[in-house]
Amino acid sequence: MKSKYSMKFIVLFIGNLLFSNFLLVDEEVNVYTSRHYDSDTQLYEDFTEETGIKVNIISAKGKALIERLRSEGANSPADVFITVDAGNLWKVQDYGLFTAIKSKKIESTVPKIYRDENNEWIALAKRARVIFFNKGKYSFEDLENLSYEDLSSENWRNKLAIRSSNNLYNQSLVASLIARYGEEYTENWAKGLVKNFSRKPQGNDRAQIIAVANNEADLAIANSYYLGLMLSGKKGEKQLSAGKKVNILFPSQKTNGAHINISGGGILKASKNYENAVKFLEFMVSEKAQKHLVENTYEYPINSKVKPSKIISQFGTDFKEDSLNVSSFGKFNSAALKLMDRVGWQ
Amino acid sequence: MPMIGLNLAKYSWQLGIFLIFFIFIIPIAFVISSLFGEYNENWNHLIDYVLANYVLNSLLLIFGVSILSLIFGVGSAWLITNYEFINKYWLEWALILPLAVPPYILAYTFTGLFDTFGSANELLRFFFNSNDDFSFFPNVRNIFGAIIVFSFTLYPYIYLTARMAFINQSRTLIEAGRILGLENNSIFFKLAIPMARPAIIAGLALVIMETLSDFGAVEHFAVPTFTIGIYRTWFGMYDLNTAMQLASLLLIFISFFLILERIERRKLSYSYASSTFKTVKKHKLKGYKNLLAFLFCFTPLFIGFLVPMMEISNWAINYTSENFFSDIFLKSFINTVILGILAGIICTLFAFFFNFLKRFETGSYLKGISFLLSMGYSIPGLVLAVGIIQFFSLLDNNFLSSCLNLILTGSIVGLLLAYIIKSYALANNSIESGYERINYAIDDVSLSLKVSKFKIFFQVHVPLLKTSILTSLLLVISEVIKELPATLILRPFNFDTLAVTTYIYAAEERMFEAATPAIMIVLIGLVPIFFLSRIIRESRPGKT
Repeated sequence: MKSKYSMKFIVLFIGNLLFSNFLLVDEEVNVYTSRHYDSDTQLYEDFTEETGIKVNIISAKGKALIERLRSEGANSPADVFITVDAGNLWKVQDYGLFTAIKSKKIESTVPKIYRDENNEWIALAKRARVIFFNKGKYSFEDLENLSYEDLSSENWRNKLAIRSSNNLYNQSLVASLIARYGEEYTENWAKGLVKNFSRKPQGNDRAQIIAVANNEADLAIANSYYLGLMLSGKKGEKQLSAGKKVNILFPSQKTNGAHINISGGGILKASKNYENAVKFLEFMVSEKAQKHLVENTYEYPINSKVKPSKIISQFGTDFKEDSLNVSSFGKFNSAALKLMDRVGWQ
Repeated sequence: MPMIGLNLAKYSWQLGIFLIFFIFIIPIAFVISSLFGEYNENWNHLIDYVLANYVLNSLLLIFGVSILSLIFGVGSAWLITNYEFINKYWLEWALILPLAVPPYILAYTFTGLFDTFGSANELLRFFFNSNDDFSFFPNVRNIFGAIIVFSFTLYPYIYLTARMAFINQSRTLIEAGRILGLENNSIFFKLAIPMARPAIIAGLALVIMETLSDFGAVEHFAVPTFTIGIYRTWFGMYDLNTAMQLASLLLIFISFFLILERIERRKLSYSYASSTFKTVKKHKLKGYKNLLAFLFCFTPLFIGFLVPMMEISNWAINYTSENFFSDIFLKSFINTVILGILAGIICTLFAFFFNFLKRFETGSYLKGISFLLSMGYSIPGLVLAVGIIQFFSLLDNNFLSSCLNLILTGSIVGLLLAYIIKSYALANNSIESGYERINYAIDDVSLSLKVSKFKIFFQVHVPLLKTSILTSLLLVISEVIKELPATLILRPFNFDTLAVTTYIYAAEERMFEAATPAIMIVLIGLVPIFFLSRIIRESRPGKT
């Protein structure tokens, strides 16, 4: 009895090992991803069902995966790299690890500003970094034309909730300002912003939104889809009721537009399954996959034939997007981090 | 000198072990080698703005954690070994339960409980019918919260070593002290503590190393420690080289503690008068002292184990997952268990071999290697992983893939190597302290009776060290089960462990979903701890 079970364990374990890179099955695609959403797993299963190509996954922090890719070099088993920030994509390209994605389908689906000029990477979904406010406290009229730039003014002293500068989304937001205005302006802006923090930066984006719902702060800066997740009810009653108390304000509508970041991917030079990798990315931007994405992660679709989820589109869909090239986030990421260190943004 | 040929044959297997140790050290060497590389302009930034803050926070953290964990670790060990009080019987083993709770999980549960809208606050608000946003607890997301989290999950290391030392202390000496008129307090501070100091410091060294290398808990509490600095430099400035230089500095800092521990250990040898064990006659506590002793020992167990377990269970109940026993969950469960056992066996074997060799060899090269390998415990997991990846890629890209068509990177070997480096210090600590309790006379007698070293190893040392071997095995297993950052990046495709599954949810603060794997980590961690506690119960002098 006992040995029967332990045999089963060992067999399962070895089976597990075999699906690592030792055994190369013909039809497969190997993906390194820093998106760890359950819904993505389901998407990969759909892809396998449709094409017969097995998807193998390693998910970890983006930068760590980049280092692994870089060390592995030509021996890397990875075909596709997927990440949640444009800065990471830029870095992989900077290291020369990507190769061009040759696909008419992708070119016709993904707008030009959301892919690299040589098609070395493409966006799979968009997210906006927006302002959240408590419906009971403010109306849209109160906050009309509020811009990112305004958030550092004295009017908002001790009223902002935003997460730590460890966070990539914040680094990208600051990098975008550096790209547009230069370091000097951005540093002054960030100085004011830090003075406006209502508390020491803590928790993730959702925690900032909850702080606004609970009146611990007046405004929160966070990614749009977090509210979608809260309102979906998947995160429990508490988050649902907190989500109902807040509203989204798309910043800088009269000026540069709302800050957009992307979740995206590319094919690696070392890829041994290039064809499969192309098919995989084509699938990811297909209507079917995009529909699945928007309904589960509440990101904005990259495929124009797909509408955002109703949960998130109720806050508006025709807002102005910042047209700044997202690759500048990576270029100025290091400068952004140092700037945040200098102004004491923890 | 005249028998060089003979020596070579005789020592060839030792050479083999030396080589294997050498392989273990290479990833650490990769990290340290960054110190000899170029120092770029990011250093100016670090020095001008943040480095002092990272160092200060780390120092404050280890200072606070040391004090708190010493109080509870040593205090409870002393009460348990010398006094009789209510519930002592189960507290004796229950006190090590918090070892099963990784600091990051305790940190998550703390915010889940004590944030303004955490469950503890809501519960109290309900009872006292108070304002919606009134907070009964101070904010835990700061260095004080972090100190509590580390102290109450790591104090068992001190409890374990201190308790062992107290049990083994010569009764005659203590009794002599008493006859000479020392009060209980003075016996504790003037006799027991100084005699147990090496053991206590050995435990404390583990606590400090683990605290310094942690990333999960300090990130969650937003305490900018040195580890946070390493990650920010790497992730935020895209500067792995500087990050590894920072990690090397951390290692140098830690080596001071290790050297301190070595020095203390050397003093240990005189403190065991092995033949004078006497069953400790326990003092029975009465009245309020009885209750106080119980409360003192119950507090760390409550904060470090019962509280997080209650909160996680609360989450698990709130989230009735349809995939509780899903395929992925089952697989990660099996992976975790098998990896833990494999790493435990390998680590223990090497610690055993090494300490055996050290007994007959006075050569300092062995000590040097063991010292380096012990430092592995304090390397932040992700940085260690990079060392391993670089080492393996070098092998892969240069010969393995072309000659043997084999890729090491991303295989299970990398994971095992990481676990061995990360937990060798635990194995070595247990085996080494076990060996110190074996009188050298035993070896000398055996040798003079012409018993081969091989036989001494199997027939004398193994039986005598049974407890130490088991302790080492179990400590390593419980460490591997909790390991996260290195696992995340080194694992093969489609390979999850329970810690990985927990992290993936917890990173997005999806605590309800994280609850199930988190409970499993604790439950599996309880298995080795259950055995450890049995060892503890049976380890009374006179029984061995």
